[in-house]
Amino acid sequence: MIYLDAAATTLQKPSAVARASGYAMGHMASPGRGGHPPAMLAADTVFACRERAAELFHVREPDDVVFTMNATHGLNIAIKSIVKPGDTVLISGYEHNAVTRPLAAIPNVRVKVATSRLFDPQEILRQFREQLTSEVDCVICNHVSNVFGYVLPVVEIADLCAGRGVPFVLDASQSAGSMPIYMDQLRASFIAMPGHKGLYGPLGTGILLCDHEVIPLLEGGTGSLSARQEMPDFLPDRLEAGTQNVTGIAGLLEGLRFIQRKGPEVILNHERFLAARCADALSALPGVRVFAAPRLFCQAGVLSFQVDGMDCEDVGQALGEQGIAVRSGLHCAPLAHRSAGTLDVGTVRVSFSAFNSSGDVDALAGAVARLPRRQ
Amino acid sequence: MVYYLIICRSLTYAQRTAAVLERAGITARILRSPKSIAGEGCSHAVKVSERRLAEALVLLNRAELKPKRVYITEEDGSYREVGL
Repeated sequence: MIYLDAAATTLQKPSAVARASGYAMGHMASPGRGGHPPAMLAADTVFACRERAAELFHVREPDDVVFTMNATHGLNIAIKSIVKPGDTVLISGYEHNAVTRPLAAIPNVRVKVATSRLFDPQEILRQFREQLTSEVDCVICNHVSNVFGYVLPVVEIADLCAGRGVPFVLDASQSAGSMPIYMDQLRASFIAMPGHKGLYGPLGTGILLCDHEVIPLLEGGTGSLSARQEMPDFLPDRLEAGTQNVTGIAGLLEGLRFIQRKGPEVILNHERFLAARCADALSALPGVRVFAAPRLFCQAGVLSFQVDGMDCEDVGQALGEQGIAVRSGLHCAPLAHRSAGTLDVGTVRVSFSAFNSSGDVDALAGAVARLPRRQ
Repeated sequence: MVYYLIICRSLTYAQRTAAVLERAGITARILRSPKSIAGEGCSHAVKVSERRLAEALVLLNRAELKPKRVYITEEDGSYREVGL
C-alpha cells in the first residue's frame, strides 16, 4: 500500500511509537490515581510528553499543555471556553467542520468569514484586517487548509488579534510537526492539534495549548482536590477528567522526539518537495486539474486534484484498488471547498508525511494516468 | 528519619517541583499526600530531606513554583505544618 493520506492520519510512524505504546500497555497504570510504581511510571511518561510539547511549541509551563483525544476535542474546548451565545466570531474561509460545527451549536453566534481565492495570502489577510471590527469576540483560523494545503498567514492574523485584544484560536491540525508553531510568538488563546497526524503519535491523541480561562467539556475524577465537587481551577487537571490515554501519550512522546531529532523544517521541505513533484506529474496528464500554488510558495505537503470525466470518489476508489490510499470528497471542510469553488464536485486529496518517497509520487501519477475515463 | 513534604496543587505541579529540585541535585520523591494533610481530597507531595528544605524553597521561589503548604514529620509519624 502506498499511503498518501497523512492529512487524515499518518499511518507509518517511527518504530519507537508502537514500542512505547506497547510497553505502556503492559507496564503503566493510571497516572495520579495511585502511588505505586506502575501509576508513577505512567505519571512520569505523561509529564515527559507534556514537557516535550511545551518545549517544542514554546509554551510557558507544561501545565498549559492539555491532552485531548484529537484536534476536534481541543477545538471544542477552545471554542466553548471563549464563545458565548450571541457572540460574533471571525473565521477563515478554509475552516474544517471541527470549527464550524461547534460554532453552529452555540445559539445565535454570528460567523463572519474572511476568505480569498486559493493561494492568495495577501487577500485573506486584507479580509481579516477589514472584518476584524469591534463586535468580533474571537478569531479562529486554520494554519494549513486540510483540503488544499494552503498556508494561511497566521502570524500576521495573530498580530492583528493581539493588537486589537481579540482572543485568537489556531487550528494547527495540518501544521503541527512540520511548521513552526510558537505559542509565545502567536500570543494565541488556544492552539489545537492532533497527535496522530504530523506529530506521529497513535490515534486517539491530541494536544491543546492553553492561555485563556477554560470551561471543561467533561467533569470527573482528576486525582486532585477530590473532596470538592467542582473541577479544579488549575490546568491541566481542569480539562483532563478521567484516566488519560497513557498508551497513546507514551507513543506520542516518541513522535515528538522523532520530530525534534529530524527537525520540523526538514520534514516540511521533504513534504513540499513531494507535493511539488506530484503537482508537476499530475499537471502533465491530460484532463487532470491540480490545485497548486506557483512553486508551492504558500502550500504545505497537501494538494488536491480533479480528473475530467470522473467523480472524485470513483478516483479514490480506483486508486485504492491499485494500492494507493488517497482521500476524496469534501474532506469535512465544505467551507474550504466553497471558497475554492469545488463544493459541488469535491476533490481528490493527496497528502504526504516524512515516510513518503518520490517513488510513491511516481506510482500515483502512473495510476492516475491509467484511470479509465468516461469520454 | 525526619523529612519534609511539600504539598502541591496537582501531580503536574509536583512533577515540575521535583524536576527543579532534582536538577539542582536535591533528591525529591513524589508521593500521594497523606490523607491527614491532603486538605480538600487527593493531592501530591514532594518529599525532601530535612537538611535540604531551605535550599529547596529558595530554588522553588526562583522557579516561581509556590508550594501549597509544607509539613515536617514528627517522631510519632504525624505531620506538622511549617510556616513559610
